[in-house]
Amino acid sequence: MITDKEIEKRLEEMFAQNYELLKLEGGHALTEAGQKDAFNQVLYYFRKLKEVAAKVTDTEVKLTLPDQKTPGNRSFTIEGIVDIVREDDEVWMYDIKTHDPFYVESNKHLYEKQLNVYAYIWENLRGNQLDHTAVISTVLPDALKEAAIANDGNRIQKELAHWKPVINIPYHEKNVKDTIYDFGLVVDNIEKHCFAPPPATVLDGKISGTNSKFATRICRNCDARFSCSSYREYAIKFQKGTTANFKQYYNDYGTDGEQEEFINASINLNKINIIPELPH
Amino acid sequence: MPGKRTTLEKLWKIKGFKPNVNQREAILHINGPLFLTAGPGSGKTRVLLWRTLNLIVFNDVKPEEIFLSTFTEKAALQLKEGLRNLLGLVTNETGKPYDISKMSVGTVHSICQSLIIDRRFSEAGTRKHPPVLMDSLSQYFKIYNKKFWQELWNAGGFRDEEAAHYAITTYFLGKEINSRHVAVTECIALFNRFSEENLNASSIKTNDETLKALLKMYQHYRDSLQINTYTKEVDFSLLQQEAFNTIEKFAGSGNVFKHLIIDEFQDTNAIQEKLYFALSKGSKNICVVGDDDQALYRFRGATVENLVEFEQRCHDNIGIKPKRIDLDINYRSRKNIVDLYTHFIIQADWKNPKKTGTHFRVYDKVIKANSKDTRPSVIVSTKDRAENVYVEIAQLVLDLKQKGKIHDYNQCAVLFPFLKDSTRVEGFTAAFENLNIPVYAPRANSFIEVDEAKAVFGLFLKIFDRPHYGNTGSQSIIKFRNWMIECIGIADNLMKEDRMLKEYVNDKKNEVALALADYNLLLAVVKKKRWDLKTPFKLAMIRDFSDVPKLSQKAKKNLTNSYFKKLIEAKERDGSPFSIEYIVARTTSLDWTVLDLFYQLNGFRHFRDMFLLAEDGTDEGPVCNLGLLSQYLSRFMDQYGTLLTASFLHEDKFVKVFFASYVYALYRLGESEYEDADDPFPKGRVPFLTIHQSKGLEFPVVILGAVYKREKPPDKKEIIIRDLLNKEGEPLDRISQFDTMRMFYVALSRAQNLLVLPRYTHGSAATEIFKEIFENYPLCTIPDFDIQQMPIAENARQDAGKSYSYTSDYLQYTKCPRHYMIFKKYGFVPSRSQTMLFGSLVHKTIEDLHHLLIHERKSLQYDN
Repeated sequence: MITDKEIEKRLEEMFAQNYELLKLEGGHALTEAGQKDAFNQVLYYFRKLKEVAAKVTDTEVKLTLPDQKTPGNRSFTIEGIVDIVREDDEVWMYDIKTHDPFYVESNKHLYEKQLNVYAYIWENLRGNQLDHTAVISTVLPDALKEAAIANDGNRIQKELAHWKPVINIPYHEKNVKDTIYDFGLVVDNIEKHCFAPPPATVLDGKISGTNSKFATRICRNCDARFSCSSYREYAIKFQKGTTANFKQYYNDYGTDGEQEEFINASINLNKINIIPELPH
Repeated sequence: MPGKRTTLEKLWKIKGFKPNVNQREAILHINGPLFLTAGPGSGKTRVLLWRTLNLIVFNDVKPEEIFLSTFTEKAALQLKEGLRNLLGLVTNETGKPYDISKMSVGTVHSICQSLIIDRRFSEAGTRKHPPVLMDSLSQYFKIYNKKFWQELWNAGGFRDEEAAHYAITTYFLGKEINSRHVAVTECIALFNRFSEENLNASSIKTNDETLKALLKMYQHYRDSLQINTYTKEVDFSLLQQEAFNTIEKFAGSGNVFKHLIIDEFQDTNAIQEKLYFALSKGSKNICVVGDDDQALYRFRGATVENLVEFEQRCHDNIGIKPKRIDLDINYRSRKNIVDLYTHFIIQADWKNPKKTGTHFRVYDKVIKANSKDTRPSVIVSTKDRAENVYVEIAQLVLDLKQKGKIHDYNQCAVLFPFLKDSTRVEGFTAAFENLNIPVYAPRANSFIEVDEAKAVFGLFLKIFDRPHYGNTGSQSIIKFRNWMIECIGIADNLMKEDRMLKEYVNDKKNEVALALADYNLLLAVVKKKRWDLKTPFKLAMIRDFSDVPKLSQKAKKNLTNSYFKKLIEAKERDGSPFSIEYIVARTTSLDWTVLDLFYQLNGFRHFRDMFLLAEDGTDEGPVCNLGLLSQYLSRFMDQYGTLLTASFLHEDKFVKVFFASYVYALYRLGESEYEDADDPFPKGRVPFLTIHQSKGLEFPVVILGAVYKREKPPDKKEIIIRDLLNKEGEPLDRISQFDTMRMFYVALSRAQNLLVLPRYTHGSAATEIFKEIFENYPLCTIPDFDIQQMPIAENARQDAGKSYSYTSDYLQYTKCPRHYMIFKKYGFVPSRSQTMLFGSLVHKTIEDLHHLLIHERKSLQYDN
């Protein structure tokens, strides 16, 4: 019987291998902070959801809905990947997400639509049983992250217990047609090159059902915000920013904690201590 | 609905596919080796897809029992998407799901990587340690490194570096050049060829002193790759050898795959052929597909003989002669075009003088046009001086557009043997631009010569300063220095136009200076206290550092914040305290990385405008280039570290590594003219491509920019290999002509409706065979050509329909279309936010975890 410790060791190896492989396929890398963050998501998924993980019967099941037509008459295929747990008489469908649980909670309708489409493929096209659907968000809550960084065992245990990564998505099989239509509209827009950002008023507004502004929750996590006309307008107009504090506009590396964490994860003396040389 | 049965015929009908007799036979063939010759435009990809589908759906072959490889990532993606699409169709008809995620489908390199760790190739089914893969840039940096290069030429027994350079360049190029870059590039090419031939350096005997030295250097290179017992580095060529060794070691290798399907077989090299035969030893089901007349990759070690002689080689290796089927009906081009290129290719003498009755090409295949349209579709310019020919052809393109025969300029491609420094490219560009027709020639220069790169690097140079070389005689360095000076000039102009940019650059410059000043202050403390930088840092030392007079506020804050203290305490408790060196680095690091800097610079007007052009689809060019730039920056960070610490900036270390080493290498290696082209091409521009880039593509109108290529003496590597391994092949003195013929064959067969050939009077006007054709073959001239009779170009065919993911496309787009465009469509590498790579990495590892747990559960049940 393999112990948890052994599994975590294996996780480390698998993660490193996958990283090398994917880096090569994509031709670019993740920052060291990014790598650590990604690994922690996997590690804490295992620690928190061992029970679920151990019951998964079909992993990374690819669901496809081919030969769809957009309103603009383009063909497209919808794709999604889910994990399935068949247990006694019940079948669960999990969609594992690496995005913000906050965004999931506040945009439940989007995820509902999504899982309804998946359910439609799973049940109707493929004739399988399905009883529950849920999203698992692997993003660690800030408190857990901080505990992990401080490497404080007790705090980690406490925060781990508080963490609620499984978000149940009410599942009713309707509106599949509407969802596919909406999806088609997006495909048309992508193919027509419509990529303008949401207007500044949206950025200044709250994300529906939440207390957070779009600009703080979404834009501040976007590296491309500096070149974004909407974000700029938001920063100048709504933040009463003038050219005088444009320095603040640029010197924005998140909270002190985030910046500390970034630096902490990014220092690599071995890489810096290479001997430089001038070519001849 | 579920449970329903279907047939191939039904599925073909749904998809509107009507296979011809040979296509049908190829799709239905399921037993024994198969040799498919596939002429241009003969529907090869479709046949491969349907054949694979037939195996999976109607012959119960599991996807993981199929090996399907092709040449480029792009072609591999097309196969995967096409297959998912067709299988999805079947699922919807029958309710039976298919999962191809475990199928070995991709480029040979990606499949090799998974073969090496595939449990099916080991006795106990254990997972193996995969090698660490170096791509070609990393391989170059490894060998170019001064210290490593010294090890190499020492191993080769050379007196000093200069002697090594002279001997190596004389050996390969026939002249003495004292350049490490040139010597290294030649060595890499030879080493790779050695690996692809599976050559064992220690067992080779030769009297040639230089070759002896090179073999020793190769052996040293190979030895250096074994980092420790478990970890080994490989380059692309050795990756294939490693995969071959893996399957050679395991007795059951010939039966793991029930079917092998190899596309673009004319471009396989020696080790790949060995690999394929070894994998099909048991099943005997190997299907190869290709066209010897389109073989283009000899310079990468490809051996077209693998295809030409496949019938014999297959018999010799697995004991059965393959069934041969010719996909010989061309559905792409009008009849005159097909007639011309089939005539063209047989103008060379392909007979094998050593074996009567045999040829150096698959001689008895005959490509036929499906088109019955016999009106003129190949036309020549008036025979004239080059300038006039350019003008005449540019005018023709304008007429085609105005008369509605093409809808967009990107439906008309101009193809050249090479783009870099070509006077023909310059001439055509000028002629088109005179008529206000913009052109798109992405590979005419090295990437760092594009305007966007020059602007960004120029601003970087303003902030970090440039490396200084003093008096140098190296032409290459002088050119690079001039490039840097030009970049700085561009940056100066941008700063003049944008006051805020100027202020920003100065701020960043000051931050660098401040970090360096802090660094020196802290080092002075270390020196005074006689601490050793490598020894543990103690909490009490914080004060020693933070109390230094003149230390910047920022450094003080870094040292004294509570978060930091807690971290140090935790580390001390763990018994793994930080070193003093680490604390110094941390305290004096900049807040930003090179990628942060890049994204912030993008916020200034000059760059912001580029994003606006892309947001409504007006012009994608500049933003594409910025995206590429972000990828190069992330590569740099991956190799040399993310953070800009003062110890890195100190003594120009960073400047030397970043500019003098990294950017300089990019500058010199340039972008190869053999890279894949981005397809589809930007709207509104006439694409200029190398013939290599055009492989696999088609255009309504194709213009050949040149019909001449200089003959080259035989490649030294080829001579060495033939000599060492006693190999036979195409006669060395014919290779150059054969390759030129094949290259132009590819060019001529890209055209759908109209093919235009230039007739120059002067200079390198045309090859002998083109001259002969211009003299004797009936061709219409541009002035005599009636544009009206030409069919209207069809808009690019809608393929099976692209796949979109709910999560990474729909949701991302819905959240912010601009974010989607930048990171998903143009592949920008984020600095701080999440990436696609991040998501894939987490998902893939969780998938592995699930597999591990499923496996554990099963073996536990088994034990019970």
